[in-house]
Amino acid sequence: MLNQVLVLLFRLLPIGVLTLSLLSGSAIAADEDEELGSILTLSPEFCITSADENVCELTLVLEWKNEFFRPICILSDYKEMAKWCAESAETHSLTLTISATDDIQFVMIDKETHQTLAGVKLKVTPAAEPKVRRRYRNPWSLF
Amino acid sequence: MKNLRVLLLTCILFPIFAWADPVDSYGSEYQCIEIGRWDIGLALGYGSRSNPLKDYDDIPIYLVPTFAYYGDYWYFDNGNIGYTLVEDEKYTINLTTSFSTDSAFFHRWDPSNIFLTGSNNFEPSALFSETRVTLMGEEQSVPTANELETRHFTYLGGVEAYIYTRIGILNLSLAHDLLNVHQGTEAKLKWLYNLSIEEWKFELALVLDWKSEEVVDYYYAIRPSENAYWSQNYQAESAINTSIELTSHYVLAKHWQLLFLARYTQIADEIVASPLLNKDYTSTFFVGTAYRF
Repeated sequence: MLNQVLVLLFRLLPIGVLTLSLLSGSAIAADEDEELGSILTLSPEFCITSADENVCELTLVLEWKNEFFRPICILSDYKEMAKWCAESAETHSLTLTISATDDIQFVMIDKETHQTLAGVKLKVTPAAEPKVRRRYRNPWSLF
Repeated sequence: MKNLRVLLLTCILFPIFAWADPVDSYGSEYQCIEIGRWDIGLALGYGSRSNPLKDYDDIPIYLVPTFAYYGDYWYFDNGNIGYTLVEDEKYTINLTTSFSTDSAFFHRWDPSNIFLTGSNNFEPSALFSETRVTLMGEEQSVPTANELETRHFTYLGGVEAYIYTRIGILNLSLAHDLLNVHQGTEAKLKWLYNLSIEEWKFELALVLDWKSEEVVDYYYAIRPSENAYWSQNYQAESAINTSIELTSHYVLAKHWQLLFLARYTQIADEIVASPLLNKDYTSTFFVGTAYRF
């Protein structure tokens, strides 16, 4: 009986180790942003596209705070603004007018070291599709 | 014999379409409709429906409207009202109404002829005033007929099923006279196949349309008040008409379409035997431009 319990524990050991590793990994990642002392916020964070045009057109405000004085740049996967760099360390916000059909990821980096400091994402969600059902007759089959 | 022709045609067409690229035969654009929103359209063009009745003119077609509204279960589709009992991925069962298509040949403003315009002779005529028949080797005069009595329009109500398969949609329906006009019953077996080739949309249908003796008798038999001779010598029987339909449209723009409609119906021998008819078929075609609102 004891042997069976030991065999079971032995078999479960790799799973336990893997779980612990992943948990500690995410904890390390969470700690990393805090250690860098950088916060990047976005307003608004969500946009719902209109049913007709399927495009989000809006003005975004990016704001950031850095615990340590450092020049920063903002990178994004939005074609119109691939990279923007603050001209002075006194600048703490950026206003953008965008037209997007997909999510946009913004990342703040240290201008000199290129170290990633923080990131935010604009979530673009299509409007709910109208509810449809089968039509049983051909619209033009009147005869 | 005529049913055989349709069957042969089916046998030829079935394999051709079955071998075609897989197409979602019930997922094409015009087979779906938004719930809670009127779908309205109007087509302008030229067409004609041939009238198999003797001395009655063909029916020209200049305008074709379409209007439908679907709720979650109830629907209204070009004059037909229905209620969906079961909606499944592979089949649908509806309670539904339909028109009596036979009355359309007798009445200019029959619901089946909505918006068809032109000058027609839809007045009941003395069809038999000149008729002479040969009976037992002797030529006999047939008494002069009175005018035809009115053949009324009626609504049919019943149940229908749609079965969705890879090789098309099978539609079966059974409907009975709701307005107590002829107290007859009609049944239909229809095979539909939808095909999309870029902006072209095609719908091919083969139809077997059974009419009970009451239906045939009401529309095509001669009443004693109309002609005593023919009321005795033509006895109505149940009949099966066979049809082939092609409905096609080409999408020009979001709201605009080109329409091509054609239908050929081979009328059953039991109906063709009626002295009211002088053709054994009726055909319809329409070519035009449609606007969907």
